[in-house]
Amino acid sequence: MTPTLSTVSRMALKRIGLDDLAEKVSAGERLSYEDGVRLFEERDVASVGALANLVRERLHGDLTWFNRNLHINATNVCEASCIFCSFARLEEGMDAAYTMSLEDAVGRVRALKDRFITEVHIVNGLHPGLPFSYYTELLRAVKAERPDLHIKGFTAVEIHYYAEKYGMSYEQVLVALREAGLDSLPGGGAEIFHPRARKKLCHDKVDADGWLDVHRTAHRLGMMTNCTMLFGSIETHEERVDHLVRLRALQDESLAAGRGRMQTFIPLRFHNDNNRLSKLAAPTGHDSLKTIAISRLMLDNVPHIKSYWIMLGVKIAQVSLWFGADDLDGTVLEERIYHMAGAETPQGLPRHELIKLITTAGRVPVERDTHYNTVAEA
Amino acid sequence: MATPIDRVRIATVHFTNAWPLTARLDHTRFEVLHHHPAEAARLLREGEVDLALLPVASVLTDGDYRIVPGVCIGADGPVQSVLLVSEVPPEQWEVLALDGCSRSSAVLAELLVKQGPLKDRVPTDLTIFRTEPGKALEHAVGKGAALIIGDPARELPERLAERIDLAGAWKDWTGLPFVFAVWAGRPDLDAEVIDELRRVATEGLALREGLPEPDRTYLTDAVKYELDDRMLSGLRRYAALGAERGLLGTRDVVLYGPRVQAYRRTDLDTLLCKGAEGERLSFEEAHRLHLEAPIADLGSAANLRRWALHPTDDVTYIISRNINYTNVCVTACKFCAFYRPEKHREAYVLTEDQIRAKCEELVSVGGVEVLLQGGLHRSLGIEYYEELFRFIKSNFPLNLHALSPEEIFHIMKISDLSMEATMERLAAAGMDSLPGGGAEVLVDAVRKKIAPLKCTTDQWLEAMRMAHKMGMSSSSTLMFGMSETAADRVEHMMRLRDLQDETRGFVAFICWTFQPDNTYVKPGDNTAADYLRVNALSRLVLDNIPNIQASWVTQGPGVAQASLHMGCNDFGSVMLEENVVSSAGTTFAMSVADVERNIREAGFNPVRRNAQYDHVGAALTRENGRRAPAPAT
Repeated sequence: MTPTLSTVSRMALKRIGLDDLAEKVSAGERLSYEDGVRLFEERDVASVGALANLVRERLHGDLTWFNRNLHINATNVCEASCIFCSFARLEEGMDAAYTMSLEDAVGRVRALKDRFITEVHIVNGLHPGLPFSYYTELLRAVKAERPDLHIKGFTAVEIHYYAEKYGMSYEQVLVALREAGLDSLPGGGAEIFHPRARKKLCHDKVDADGWLDVHRTAHRLGMMTNCTMLFGSIETHEERVDHLVRLRALQDESLAAGRGRMQTFIPLRFHNDNNRLSKLAAPTGHDSLKTIAISRLMLDNVPHIKSYWIMLGVKIAQVSLWFGADDLDGTVLEERIYHMAGAETPQGLPRHELIKLITTAGRVPVERDTHYNTVAEA
Repeated sequence: MATPIDRVRIATVHFTNAWPLTARLDHTRFEVLHHHPAEAARLLREGEVDLALLPVASVLTDGDYRIVPGVCIGADGPVQSVLLVSEVPPEQWEVLALDGCSRSSAVLAELLVKQGPLKDRVPTDLTIFRTEPGKALEHAVGKGAALIIGDPARELPERLAERIDLAGAWKDWTGLPFVFAVWAGRPDLDAEVIDELRRVATEGLALREGLPEPDRTYLTDAVKYELDDRMLSGLRRYAALGAERGLLGTRDVVLYGPRVQAYRRTDLDTLLCKGAEGERLSFEEAHRLHLEAPIADLGSAANLRRWALHPTDDVTYIISRNINYTNVCVTACKFCAFYRPEKHREAYVLTEDQIRAKCEELVSVGGVEVLLQGGLHRSLGIEYYEELFRFIKSNFPLNLHALSPEEIFHIMKISDLSMEATMERLAAAGMDSLPGGGAEVLVDAVRKKIAPLKCTTDQWLEAMRMAHKMGMSSSSTLMFGMSETAADRVEHMMRLRDLQDETRGFVAFICWTFQPDNTYVKPGDNTAADYLRVNALSRLVLDNIPNIQASWVTQGPGVAQASLHMGCNDFGSVMLEENVVSSAGTTFAMSVADVERNIREAGFNPVRRNAQYDHVGAALTRENGRRAPAPAT
């Protein structure tokens, strides 16, 4: 039986004048840009959340996914000067700057020899001094050490940077990385697409069209990707909706082409420690929950919405399972980027804690691989 | 779905090691065919069976199969029944015959010989070939070697002195166990069948103990049947290595997933509407909502109720100070990290000067209430409290929110007074209201477990009744998340509601979760969803208590913000001190500016209140977070 809105949720939505959107979503119709802005202007996060929950339950019932993976950030030396970043160092030799040797990186994988993980997540700074072969060798070395691991790596920003730096097309970069062992792309680097905000946040990063084109190319090559949005810094509600609508349009295209596609959208909460936006207050839990809910409602063609607990905090991540999210990411080992920005969450959650988090929320945990196959009993 | 008439067809193998997984199959439900592994794989591939005990090579190569979770045939080290055998050591081998009856073992042998530890031992020109099922052994003569699997491997002629156990060699090489076979089948198989196979395995494995030797030892020690994380890791490693050398297909290792839960929701609709409209819910109805209503819907109903009771954008909070006048306590509750025995070096009783300083500081930041709570000290009787209360009331314009029922009982005991006399004297000394602390869960069976020395439910309620009668107001509380059930929580709410019908003395209700400090997760982190559920339910059940307070101290500001849209109309207090909860690990300390910002960001208008929930002033900060120009107090 298809889930429907309860009468009380319908009444709650009517109270705030969103009954037309409740109708649209119930009928499976697409929400417009204007609808998205209206949703962001609404304070009643519970009602918007209940509507998002309808979509979530229609897609996934109670199922809630997680995985176990290893994060490798091979270097934090980065030419880009994004003002929200606490991780990057402009040059080698600066305080806390590092670049792993291949042996270091592989050592991290080897250290987990006996651990059940299914994925390595690799994202790096835009290092001006490394040859392209550093990355292909990194991939080969990781694959050789653990051929059973899926490698999800390199944001569109990195792909774009390599293309420019080494004089290759996006496709050439992607093909070379894939031949070396890359399986799929993460969704990072999208930040906010709208040029006004993007110029302020990360003026020297790939622009929206470039980001989308990298993903389009990956999809054409049959690769899966994810997508993200950095929310809660200087962007407006309109710019958030614009961002979601652009992602949705790309996904329409890729679904029509029938090869690769975006699997998961991950809203990333801005953190304000140790970066140039420290004066800005970090977004509250209310904003996080609302953004997750509206993402679920707007991105009707992206199957999964992930609550990245490292950034949202464990409590908000748990509650978000009733506000549209169906994925809690994983038992991440060795997360650096958000901890350098002041995230207070633990660096890794043991699997049993993650399972408890899901079951005590009244949902059903499923351990997945990168492609959302069930891979172990939860 | 399988019915007794429409039996599920399964293929299994006739090896001893498969026996425990199939011995207890119900033949009225399953049609069971016994074959060698390769034949079982063919039957599944061609759709002649629904499910098979399948060599893993076939799982990874043949089709879109799913694996039954939890069960396998594997080994973690030597298994005795999958061997490379020869009359001579590997260095002298010229041919290696791989028995065609199991592709999984053949691929394993090839991996070990071409890439693994045997690579450096066998001659580079070793000829490897496959034989018909059961025909490999005849090649193991002279400088020939053979892969032998299953029961034949356990009954080998003595001339074959060189024996290499493949599962043992795999373990030495990778450090991982090896999976030989799993139950695998079509992706759409009914979940009941999966459950049944797992049940059959559990029962069958229990039969091993009764077997004669050497089978008993072989099946209990050498063969491993549990498909756990390490087994799955071994399987994935094998899959990846095999795929890389083109020996195996590239299918993912995918388990049958849990069932998407059935939708259980529609008939709750009426009940939720009833709650949202403010009609009184019975115990049974409230209990059912607790157990079955989705958080989203409970939240919507509570939100409607909140707006009906408080049709304004205002969200109140109070500036208060928790003064724990002593931490000496005779009670020793299991969940309390605050108390100290009298002789402990950290034991204290605050002096008048200390209390004066705390009150002065409170008044200077716009505080309107002092929350006086402490341990049960054996030498503090009613005179101490009267003096303390008169001192505070005569010197400061503060509401005196004081004492849990426990402390009242303690005073009665120390000073040998009736409850009525005690309450009367405390009220006369200036006590204005009582926090609802010490209520925990108002069910005696639970109280006995979590706080055996505390008062009974009836005593607690009696203290509140008496306080209300003397004109004092109080809050009511629920601390949950210990060993109580949903029914206990609802019972608790019923007891509060009954007393409120009688006295109308409760001005507010607040629930919070027990804060343990012993997990990887920040204390109490996995209680946030449950908190929102219980909180929303309380708004529906406590139809006669006007205000519901959010607990950001235990839940963090974000969850508390959400609760403002799910039943709460009050954001608690800005506390200058919060000793009790913080000794158990959790504090979300917030300033006035933080509290007002969180209220605003949630879409509301922050307003300061007193203990009676009267408004006492506007926000102290402006929208931009700066201090408001002339704070009205």
